[in-house]
Order: sequence, then structure tokens, then C-alpha cells
Amino acid sequence: MTKIKFWGVRGSTPCPGPDTVEYGGNTACIELRFGEENRLVIIDAGSGIRALGDFIMKNDLPKGPLKIDIFITHTHWDHIMGFPFFTPIYIPGTEINIYGPVTYEDEGLDEIIGSQLRYRYFPIKQSELSASINYYPLKELTMDLGDGLFVTTKYLNHPVLCLGYRFEYKAKTVCTAYDNEPFLNLFPTDPKDPGYDEDAAEEGEIVAKEENEKILQFYREADVLIHDSQYTNEEYLNGKMGWGHTPFETAINSAHKAGVKNLFLFHHDPLRTDEQLTDLLDIYRKKIEGKSSMKLDLAQEGLEIVI
Amino acid sequence: MDKETRLKQIAGYINKMPSLPISVTKVIDICNDPRTSPADLNSVIRIDPVLMGNVMKLINSAYYGLSDQVTSLVRAIIMLGINTVKNLSLSTAILGTMSNKDQFQALNMDGFWRHSLCVGAAAKLIAKHIRVDQKNLESFFIAGLLHDIGKIPLNNMLPTEYLKAMSLSDATNQSLVKSESAAMDINHSESGHLIVHSWKLGEEIKDAVVYHHSPENYEGKNKEIVYAIAAANYFSNYFEIGFSGDRYPEKPPEFVFETLNVTIDWFEDIEDTVNEEINKAKIFLNLKK
Repeated sequence: MTKIKFWGVRGSTPCPGPDTVEYGGNTACIELRFGEENRLVIIDAGSGIRALGDFIMKNDLPKGPLKIDIFITHTHWDHIMGFPFFTPIYIPGTEINIYGPVTYEDEGLDEIIGSQLRYRYFPIKQSELSASINYYPLKELTMDLGDGLFVTTKYLNHPVLCLGYRFEYKAKTVCTAYDNEPFLNLFPTDPKDPGYDEDAAEEGEIVAKEENEKILQFYREADVLIHDSQYTNEEYLNGKMGWGHTPFETAINSAHKAGVKNLFLFHHDPLRTDEQLTDLLDIYRKKIEGKSSMKLDLAQEGLEIVI
Repeated sequence: MDKETRLKQIAGYINKMPSLPISVTKVIDICNDPRTSPADLNSVIRIDPVLMGNVMKLINSAYYGLSDQVTSLVRAIIMLGINTVKNLSLSTAILGTMSNKDQFQALNMDGFWRHSLCVGAAAKLIAKHIRVDQKNLESFFIAGLLHDIGKIPLNNMLPTEYLKAMSLSDATNQSLVKSESAAMDINHSESGHLIVHSWKLGEEIKDAVVYHHSPENYEGKNKEIVYAIAAANYFSNYFEIGFSGDRYPEKPPEFVFETLNVTIDWFEDIEDTVNEEINKAKIFLNLKK
């Protein structure tokens, strides 16, 4: 059995307020539980991880020392900002493994995530944490996490190195593909463009197609896919191209093509109100009705799914 | 100084090898401009062997751990993203501004640059001529652009010895690569090998760099690219497009030209195209923003 619970579903910045009560205002954090042992894996340490930490303190800690694996999709702030408020890091005997990608020119993962705990930003220093925390930089790979749980990673298209995760446990698959923008041919294809180069234009088309196909293969047949959908197509085409996010329409089409069973749209724009989100869901559900057997949902804070 | 010590010295130099002085200013301009397009970035990197080598090195490095070898700048820019490529290019170019202004003492920098670009452009035309798959065309260009990269550390670190090698070549009418070995115990194919190996640029480019003066000794599976670089190098010397210090180049064996189905007439036909590409690059570099 695999359980998935959303603790934060927003992109960019926390946005609490009357317009975000239903879907939630916290940034990215997903809890996964596997099997009888209730093995815990967390994806991302956005502001949603604070409440998850409190839940773990109440429900897991009484059963024994905590062992937690946290997979960071990328180190943009909305995906790591909750870390200092994740109470288990202050509990002696807790063992935390943090995995994530690091861009070549940056410091190590420990410094990028841990340096939020500096007197300048926060009253407690990283060196004062009681939990034992190990950091593991990740690339594209498949890793055996033990207990029959496997994770496969895939580079996505985002302005910083970013990984999608595919967790497989007892023939059930949960995948994440955020933050991600479809690969584009960055080279002009109009011969009248001063930067036009025939070979570059042609190759750019091939590369973008191939790389997008690789991502689609990565989440092929997933039971649950949690996918970036920060913008609508209209917003995307009006100034959001190159920001590293996917429009609703593209996410839905790609997931359908890949044979995904249940798509959860994720990383909602902070400006998107509850009402707008519900309207968008209605619109897109109607659009795919009768055309796709894929179940379409919006990620929502507090929502729990069992597969 | 023995060969071993020289090789070690060169290995130390490789990691901080600056981009060519000819393109430094343009690279810095382009990379500091927030409006820079991927096409601009492509234009400035693809005409500098060191920058091109550095981008290829990064995308094929353990940082990314990709399973497929990437030998195309277009693919690298799309996959790495424009910001990463800009930052990397900028740091390579800045090394250029800090390095010794007289680093091109023996070789003429402009001549070297033209020669490298000529061999890259000609090798790609050969690749098209023999109908190499579209997705491998860029490997030919990169191999050509980088075929003489081993001359950069030799010329910069051992300028006196390099001048000796060039004079020896003049005095004995023998090829520069032979004179390098005679005068300094190491030649540019060997130092080039060290560079492309350390940058992990893949077997194709490595073979082309190592065997461009000795295609007859090559027995591996990348004959097309090795022969194309040997032939393009001969073309550049024969038509005197650029100058990379080799006044008495040896002509590659006939089977190289036969395999590629190219003749002097064919080379004459591509001369204008190649010159045009070099001139376009020159204009691009001199263009004021």
C-alpha cells in the first residue's frame, strides 16, 4: 500500500488568506508512506513541511526513533524554506537523509539547505541541530531504498538543476514532474530572424522533442503523477515562457499520452484563488471527458490518496 | 625537463585554460547582457575552442552524470539552460582577461583562430558530403574546432621551446608536429589528447584530436571523423585559410580522401563557404553593441 498526502501545493511563495483556504497556501511538501511499516518519505521541504513535522512528532515519535528520507526536487527557496521549522531536526536520535540535485557552480546540498540556519536568518545554527542529518547529492539514477522501495530520478527543465522522482513500491508508482517546463527549441526557426541558423534550428527541434519524450517516458503508466501546472496556456504564452513551469493544457496532454492513471496538478500559482482553481478543474475535466480514461485532480493541502 | 614533467604541467594548466583573447570581450558583453538570446550565445561559443570545450566538458561531467555523450552545443544549451551556459562562459572568459596578454607568443592568435574555425567548418561540410546522420554533424564541427587545442598549453607555457620547434620546422622542412616532438619531447596531438581526455569529450573527438596527423595509424571505429579532420586540416593548410604554425604539413594518405570521396576540386568548391563562415564570425566578434 502506498499513501500520499499533500502538505503544501503552492508554487513560489506561501500565500495564506481568504482566497486560498480550500487548496491551501503552503509551498511544496508531499508525504509518502509505504507498506505495513508505514515507511516515511518526504518530497520537498517547502513551508508545508512544518505541519507535517508536527504530525510526525505526535504520531511517529511515540513509536520509536525517527528515520526520515527527504527528497528535494530542487533548491529554489519555495522547496526548502520550511526546513528550519521541521521539528524532527531538533530531536536527538532522529536520522534524516536529505537527497537532491545541486548545480555545478553551487556549494554542497548541506550548505544550500543548512545555511538557512544561520544567526542572520534564524536563531539556531545548523551545527546545533540534534538530529543526525546526512546529505546526498543526486543525479539521474535508480536507487534501491530497501524494503522493496525504489526511486528513479530524471532531470527536468527548470532554471536550476531539478529532478523528477519516480517511486515504485509493490507494482504501484508515484511520480513527480515539477518544477518543469516543456523543453523548447531555443533557436529561431524563421529564416528572416537575424539569429537564424539552419542547422541549429533543425537540431533544436529534434533536441526539444527528444528531451520531452524522455520525460514522458519517465512518468509512463504512473498510478499517480504530480505535475507542475502553474500557468494556463494563455498566461504561459503572455510572458511566462522560460520561467520553468508547465501550462495546464500541456501537463494534461502529456500525462494522458503517457498513460498516467491519476494526474494531480500541482505548484499552483500564488495568485490563483480557490474559485479559479475549481473553475479550471471543471473546464479541463469537461475537455477530456470521454477522450481520456485518466482521472484528473488538483493537489490540495490535506488531501490523502491511497493506491 | 622530461616529458613526464611537461605532461604534468600541462594537466595543471588545463583546468584554468582561458578562452581565446580574440573572443574574450565579446563573451563578456554577451554573457553580461540579460537580453542575450540562445542564438547569440551559440554564436560566440561555437567559435572559441576553449569555450566550446568547457561547455562540452560540463554537460558530459559527473555533475550531470548523463548516460549519453553530448557533442552538440545546441543540445547543451537547451539542456543546461541559458543561465548555466552564460555563467560558465563568463568564468572562462574572465580567466582570459587575467592571463598574460602575450600568451600567444609563438603562434599568431588570429591565424590559429581562423585555422581552427576553418577545420571545424570544413569537417562539417565533409560530414554532410558523406551523409553523416544529422545528429552527428556537430561532432565533426567540434572535433575540427578543437583538433589543435593541444597547441594552446604548449604555446602558452613553453613559448621559447615552441618558437624553437617552429624554427626547426622551417629549417628542416618537416611538419610542425614532428618538430614539436624533436624540440620539446611532446607534440600537440599528445597534449591535445590529455585535454580532451580530461574533459571527457568522448571517443570520437578524442580520436580525431589524437590522430589528425596520423590517420594511417588509426584502427578504431571512428574512421570517418578522424579522416575528415585530417582532410579538413590539409585543406586549411593547402588553401592557407588561417595559419596554425605548420608551414610543411604532410599530406594525409590518398585513402583518406578516397574514403571521404573528396578531391582538390571539391575543396575548391567549399572554399567560399568556409571563408564566408569565418568572416561572419569575425564580423560578429567585432560588432559593437
